[in-house]
Amino acid sequence: MSALLEVNNISKRFGGLQAVDRLSLTVNEGEILGLIGPNGAGKSTVFNLINGVYPPDGGSIVFVGQDITGGPPYRVARQGIARAHQIVQPLGGLSVLDNCTVGACFGRQGLGLVPAREVAREVVDMIGLGDRPDMLAASLTTAGKKRLELARALSARPRLLLLDEVLAGLNPTETEGMIETVHKIRDSGVAILMIEHIMRAVMSLSDRIVVLNLGSKLAEGSPQQVADNPEVITAYLGDSKLLSVAEKPA
Amino acid sequence: MIGILASVIDGILIGAVYGLAAMGLTLIWGVMNVINLAHGAIVVVGMFVLYMLVSALGLPAYGAVPVMIVLGFVIGIGLYWIGVHRMIGRPELMSLLSTFALNMVLIGLGTAWWTTSPYNVQVNMPSVSWRGYTFTGTHITAAALAVVIAGLLYLLLYHTRIGKAVRAVATNREAAELCGIPTTQVLAMAFGLGVALAGVSGTLIATMFPFTVLSGEAYQLKSFVVTVLGGLGNPAGALMGGIALGLIEGLATPFMPVSWIPIVEFGLFVFCLIAFPRGIFSFTKA
Repeated sequence: MSALLEVNNISKRFGGLQAVDRLSLTVNEGEILGLIGPNGAGKSTVFNLINGVYPPDGGSIVFVGQDITGGPPYRVARQGIARAHQIVQPLGGLSVLDNCTVGACFGRQGLGLVPAREVAREVVDMIGLGDRPDMLAASLTTAGKKRLELARALSARPRLLLLDEVLAGLNPTETEGMIETVHKIRDSGVAILMIEHIMRAVMSLSDRIVVLNLGSKLAEGSPQQVADNPEVITAYLGDSKLLSVAEKPA
Repeated sequence: MIGILASVIDGILIGAVYGLAAMGLTLIWGVMNVINLAHGAIVVVGMFVLYMLVSALGLPAYGAVPVMIVLGFVIGIGLYWIGVHRMIGRPELMSLLSTFALNMVLIGLGTAWWTTSPYNVQVNMPSVSWRGYTFTGTHITAAALAVVIAGLLYLLLYHTRIGKAVRAVATNREAAELCGIPTTQVLAMAFGLGVALAGVSGTLIATMFPFTVLSGEAYQLKSFVVTVLGGLGNPAGALMGGIALGLIEGLATPFMPVSWIPIVEFGLFVFCLIAFPRGIFSFTKA
């Protein structure tokens, strides 16, 4: 397996807070890498650094052999890294289809309007919004907006998808549907780096997991290795969801 | 009765040009939440571009229209980098003050160059007569051009890739950037477009009426009334609002002294702000 994204020793400090501390990680072609850690561990900051929303204080980020450290975000997006946000960011005044058309127009392939609309329609169908392409993004339900985030990101035809808690706020049925969708995306050849708090989901979806605590890497390995790691359990102590997974006999 | 009708029709023709000016103001607000107080000065730039091209270079009057669109776009992008870019995302007072400063600089330069005496550009267009009433050719042409330019703006915003980028940035700049849109360039371009619209409306106004370096203020105030009628941030509403304002002016003129017209207009402005804060012609935010 070859490395798609290489994050080398990145750090970021906000005032007195060392949000990310000399973190390195690798995402391989076609894999799902889970990024977990307690609240405030710096997971979203890692995404913002990869995206180029802010430049790291040190370290480098290499994507498909290209140095993308420090953005700007639109250029990183065009290189083929798309992102779905924890707090949904729809283009509220545009229709569902137009949201995805924008994604396709300015994504990795930089399509013209007509082919972009084709791609958008295809993705909207695949992601399960095919029944309401003309609805304004602002008037979708929360689950709908989460799907739209995903659809818009995929319309860019990315090689790497950053998923920031796409399951948060969904009911169990919606969660099931979303997990299925994430599987479908990986099967289409897109690598995924996902932040997720729902342990059952992240354990079952991820090929490998990186555990973050206080901005640096606490553990790395297969879901089972990570769940068996006593340091991880300590960091999460009190989180019964992880404990229940960890205590399950192998 | 027919006299009123003629006055109303002329009002609508002029109103279309007011609408075009207001589209420039409302586009900039809609995309970057900046109220461009240099709007009036830019209308004046458009007027003097007509004067220079026709009187000094001998160009045909309507040849100044495409020149002004291009020039306005370039000037707009320049003004964006000088006085607007650093104010994006800051409190609105900052951009109000900086665009007001740009306004004063432009008016100051204009006064030094052309003084404040009135100028007039003679444009010969055949008039249209109908039942003994004459409709001035320049008014008809200006209104037609205003509608065509508004239509082109609509096509640009709703049926091109660039338009999609502009609308994406208008609704959510952060998300647009993460979709791969160079949002800073899009903001500069939208400001350029807004300035081009204001400038070209000035050019069209100058084909109809005499003007001075200080004429901009009156048209800027009219643009505010129009955008409030049409819903701030809504270009289609701006054209409707402009036509409505022209209609009101046309309707009121036969019945009252001209000095009363601003009182009617701004009475309406206040009424609209209270009764229809989102505009009478407000559809969705573009």
